[in-house]
Amino acid sequence: MAIRELKVCLLGDTGVGKSSIVCRFVQDHFDHNISPTIGASFLTKTVPCGNELHKFLIWDTAGQERFHSLAPMYYRGSAAAVIVYDITKLDSFQTLKKWVKELKEHGPEDIVVAIAGNKNDLGDIREVPMKEAKEFAESIAAIFIETSARNAVNVEELFQKISRSSSSIWLKSHSNYSFVYCKSLPSGPIIVTMQLLAKTKKKILCLHSLLLAYSPNITLAVQQKWQRHQRNPSIQF
Amino acid sequence: MSSKQEKMTNCFLNFCSGLVCWSADLRAWLLVLPFLLKQSSWLCFLLFLLLFGTFKASLFLFKLIDSFASEIGELKKEMVQTSVEKEPMKLPGLDRDVYLQVTHCGELVGERDSGYDSLRRRMSVLDRLTQTHPVWLLLSVSEEEADRILLKQPPGVFLVRKSAALQRKVLSVHLDEDQAETPINHIPIRESQYTFSLEGSSISFADLFRLVAFYCISRDVLPFTLKLPEAIVSAKTQKELEEVAQLGAGFWDSAFCGPRRSSPVPRRPLSRTLSLQRSNGNAEVQEWEQRFIGAQSDSAPPTLQPHTPPPPFPPGSRLSSAPLCFVFPLFLQTHRGCEGSPLLQPRPETAAEPKAATSSQAGEQQIKTKSESQTPPPRPPPPRFMLHRRPAPPPPGPARSMPVNVASPKHPSPKRHPAPPRPSMGSKPSSPPKNTISPKPPPPRPKSPDLEARRCHIALDDETIAKALSQAKLPSCQPPPTTEPLESSAASPSGPHKRGRQRFSDMSMSTSSSDSLEYLQSPGFSLGLSHNPAQDHQDPGEDSSEEDEDGEEEEEEDYGVGLEADLETRLRPSFKARRRRVAVSLSSGSFDLPRSLKGRLSKMGGMLSSLMTPEKRAVKRIAELSRDKSSYFGSLVQDYINFVQENRSCHPSGMDLLQTLRQFMTQMKAYLRQTSELDPPIESLIPEDQIDPVLEKAMHKCVLKPLHHVIEVALHDFQVSSGAWRQLWENLALAKTKKPQDLGVDGAVPPDSVAIEKIRQKFLNMRKMYSPEKKVRLLLRVCKLIYTIMQDNSGRMYGADDFLPMLTYVVAQCNMPRLDTDIQYMMELLDPSLLQGEGGYYLTSAYGAMALIKNFQEEQAARVLSSEARNTLHQWHSRRTAQRSMPTVDDFQNFLRVALQELDSGCTGKTLLVHPYTTTEEVCSLCAYKFKIPDPENYALFLVTQDTSQQLALDTHPQRIKAELHSRPLAHAFHFVYRRVPNLNLRVPVQIRNRL
Repeated sequence: MAIRELKVCLLGDTGVGKSSIVCRFVQDHFDHNISPTIGASFLTKTVPCGNELHKFLIWDTAGQERFHSLAPMYYRGSAAAVIVYDITKLDSFQTLKKWVKELKEHGPEDIVVAIAGNKNDLGDIREVPMKEAKEFAESIAAIFIETSARNAVNVEELFQKISRSSSSIWLKSHSNYSFVYCKSLPSGPIIVTMQLLAKTKKKILCLHSLLLAYSPNITLAVQQKWQRHQRNPSIQF
Repeated sequence: MSSKQEKMTNCFLNFCSGLVCWSADLRAWLLVLPFLLKQSSWLCFLLFLLLFGTFKASLFLFKLIDSFASEIGELKKEMVQTSVEKEPMKLPGLDRDVYLQVTHCGELVGERDSGYDSLRRRMSVLDRLTQTHPVWLLLSVSEEEADRILLKQPPGVFLVRKSAALQRKVLSVHLDEDQAETPINHIPIRESQYTFSLEGSSISFADLFRLVAFYCISRDVLPFTLKLPEAIVSAKTQKELEEVAQLGAGFWDSAFCGPRRSSPVPRRPLSRTLSLQRSNGNAEVQEWEQRFIGAQSDSAPPTLQPHTPPPPFPPGSRLSSAPLCFVFPLFLQTHRGCEGSPLLQPRPETAAEPKAATSSQAGEQQIKTKSESQTPPPRPPPPRFMLHRRPAPPPPGPARSMPVNVASPKHPSPKRHPAPPRPSMGSKPSSPPKNTISPKPPPPRPKSPDLEARRCHIALDDETIAKALSQAKLPSCQPPPTTEPLESSAASPSGPHKRGRQRFSDMSMSTSSSDSLEYLQSPGFSLGLSHNPAQDHQDPGEDSSEEDEDGEEEEEEDYGVGLEADLETRLRPSFKARRRRVAVSLSSGSFDLPRSLKGRLSKMGGMLSSLMTPEKRAVKRIAELSRDKSSYFGSLVQDYINFVQENRSCHPSGMDLLQTLRQFMTQMKAYLRQTSELDPPIESLIPEDQIDPVLEKAMHKCVLKPLHHVIEVALHDFQVSSGAWRQLWENLALAKTKKPQDLGVDGAVPPDSVAIEKIRQKFLNMRKMYSPEKKVRLLLRVCKLIYTIMQDNSGRMYGADDFLPMLTYVVAQCNMPRLDTDIQYMMELLDPSLLQGEGGYYLTSAYGAMALIKNFQEEQAARVLSSEARNTLHQWHSRRTAQRSMPTVDDFQNFLRVALQELDSGCTGKTLLVHPYTTTEEVCSLCAYKFKIPDPENYALFLVTQDTSQQLALDTHPQRIKAELHSRPLAHAFHFVYRRVPNLNLRVPVQIRNRL
């Protein structure tokens, strides 16, 4: 099975339980396969998704205001960002909104945004109504879920959702990526594309059609090249 | 059992089973014993381990032994399982096995015969395969083409190609016509992380050659063994193999491949020494086979006639038939007897006998051989011979192994040995202009670089032998004599060699000269013998001096190599960390070795590195190539290194310098993937998914190692001149005075001053490394230490909320402004694919911590980073991403290598600084200036390719042309030559258009 690495960035105020969620997620089914990690701020876990394996590379960030400016370095290149807030602290929900805005402006294109309301187990001192959070999430087309790291509620589900939606986005973003890649090169765009595609371990044919579907602008070039390749297989596609 | 454990267990099991099998093989012990006695260095090494090894080292050894012991218990169980188990068993021992046999001969025979026998005997299937890979390793051939080629061939003939549909390498074999709606079968080759194996088989191999060699001898999952084309099998000399190899894919359509060449090769032996090996192929072998092999069809040597009896196992039981292949080592002996028909190889005893052996005696010998190999049951339990690899005796000294290949340099690239009478179709391209143009006889094996001088005694590996050999032929351990003076100085020793080669080619036409050949051979041989000890002596000194230069890292390599080489393949996942620890504890220990002992040890290191993994071998080969200025790759790398050394200040910033470097390395990696200069192609040694990391490692070695210090100085200079250094210094000093709480640490207990000092030391060590990856590994160790301290004090798990402030605090306390450039170095030069992982994460954190400290004063004022600092981060971000997504094609920077061709004095090459927009006209005037041409109007720039030479129009852009040529899928060799225009009226401007 092919393994795909998904970089996931954790954002949110300090103390909302970002690392608890990850620790719970990683430790619940303790996987002997994972290499012993240095510490809890970077953890990995591999889960099956469809016919491939997704390896989550989870980047934790420091929530304090003074480290806020470093965040771009962390969410750069992320497939997904999990923004965590504490349902018992309204402030943390406000911070979340700031993060959403920042991601929109500076974050990677096609990043999957997931909103996790943690400390679900403390429902009786809740400050952020679930409905409000859910509506906000819908308005930005983000994944929404309330979790409890302590009781291991919905943690797994959170990452499953990320897994699924990044699958669909990945294809799109990748073909875009190769498109950008192609365009930036004056000579031999196709070769470069090929290199990129080979890297992603996808079969030529499958990606060929993907390219056609998502990047109509280079369709012609790819088609010509492809036909030539079929006529004379010694030309590497 | 999780897969990692499984892997580990497998490793152990392989090791253990090998150990068991091997120790049971008495002959093998006999083999090692003399070697051990001769190579006291081994003992030296063991002594060293005992005496100087730290506690950790011995602990490690004990653990290792312990684990072996415990795993042996599981061995039996495992053996039973193998038939069911899908997990491929690793059998990289195969190659060692082959060598083992070879070594054997060398050991026993070497002293007595002229070396000629050994030469003959060395031509194992593996040798043949390795040498002729351009013929059968046709990665770019399509399925239809493969079908077309193979259909004309007898069953069993094969190709290895890359299937476009599967995106994998496949073994295309012509199967028996009988079974045949599809006479050509394409069997996918599975490439696991470190090994190659055939789909459906449970045996895996260290590289492609070994895989194919194995299936030439044992059928395993195939219906019968593979068969090499007749021309390859019947080749008697390296020379002949070279000829075949030069044809490349064209071989299949050439006369070679057709019906037998009718050169009247006498049946009967011509010379005493040849009596056993010489036979014109099949007749004898077949007879022999009918007599002795008979029933065991799958042991049939590759030379056998096409029709093969049906496999003894029904196709259904394929998997369970897998263990069959374990008979292999026995077959190997058989095979040594008859392999490649003309090379009937006598047992060592035979060779030891008086040379007047008659052919009837030979027959007896063969009987003996066969009966020996038949003694064991036909299907012994799967003894995993992989272990042969480890305990395989260290390489026989150079004195022994080198002569073996005297006068038969391997793979001289066609261009380097221009042999006019040969057909050049399909030959491999790429050689520097001077060689193509220069009519002089090129040096024997220009590829063997000075590294060989140091490690020439690394034998086992036959390539190494061949290289070392060619090196031994040079009078001094100089880099290949590409220049005239050197060549003339090399004249006397290479004289006999050349004559020998000449004779070889004669012989391939008619064997009548074989007697004289033998005589001619001897001088070369004795030369090898006499030369090597001296070289051996020379070795330690040279090595240790290099060691001194390279400092810790090199030491790690040298001392670690034994363990590394031993463990790398099989124990890699689990033991690498431990090994490293041992290596580091060895190298960072406080002892200071006496120089002589150091030399000894490094010699040991060299010896042990013969057990190198394919990965190491590949890295080494690329590193060698990079130092060989006569190769295109080498000249690019060397020119670039020189350029950076001289012009480092031409970059606007340190960042720019690093990014150019990174770009260069990335481009070079891309080039190496396409070039044919690497021989054998890297795809055949390294599984597809490992190629990139291996190339990356090689690039670090080629480029960063020599430039490391220059870069460091340059980065520092940039910092100083921009004022950043001063700012950093002040802010660091300020931050150092702050309490952990001021930096955001909340709750966790910070490390004390002892721990800080320890971390400081680690950072200092980190600075000495040249490889960004190794640096990052040390950085990770620092982070681990910080975590340990935090957790020890509280017991809870800490996330980034606590870690990042603590890291900032630690960095401030360490007070090392130089750390900043180091982090920059890692950030920019680390393989982009590693930036997402753990290393990338902590590197980012370190960068962040440093950025915070750099702007500490402002941060104190505003409590947040200034917008300026934020912008820098954003810029950095976009640059980094931009760089990743678009490697430019103004290829290989702004250099252009131009050769000046003069009618009287041959070629002189110069690398010029030529920008992409520079026109040919400008290049011409630059050339005129550089080459001091008095009459530039009579000269012009030509683009010389394999068989064409085009004058470039004055308004073309050479750099563009180069880029276009480079970006073609099948890059051909091309050179820019500045030479006299024969007739001014014939100026035909040529526009090279991108035909993609």
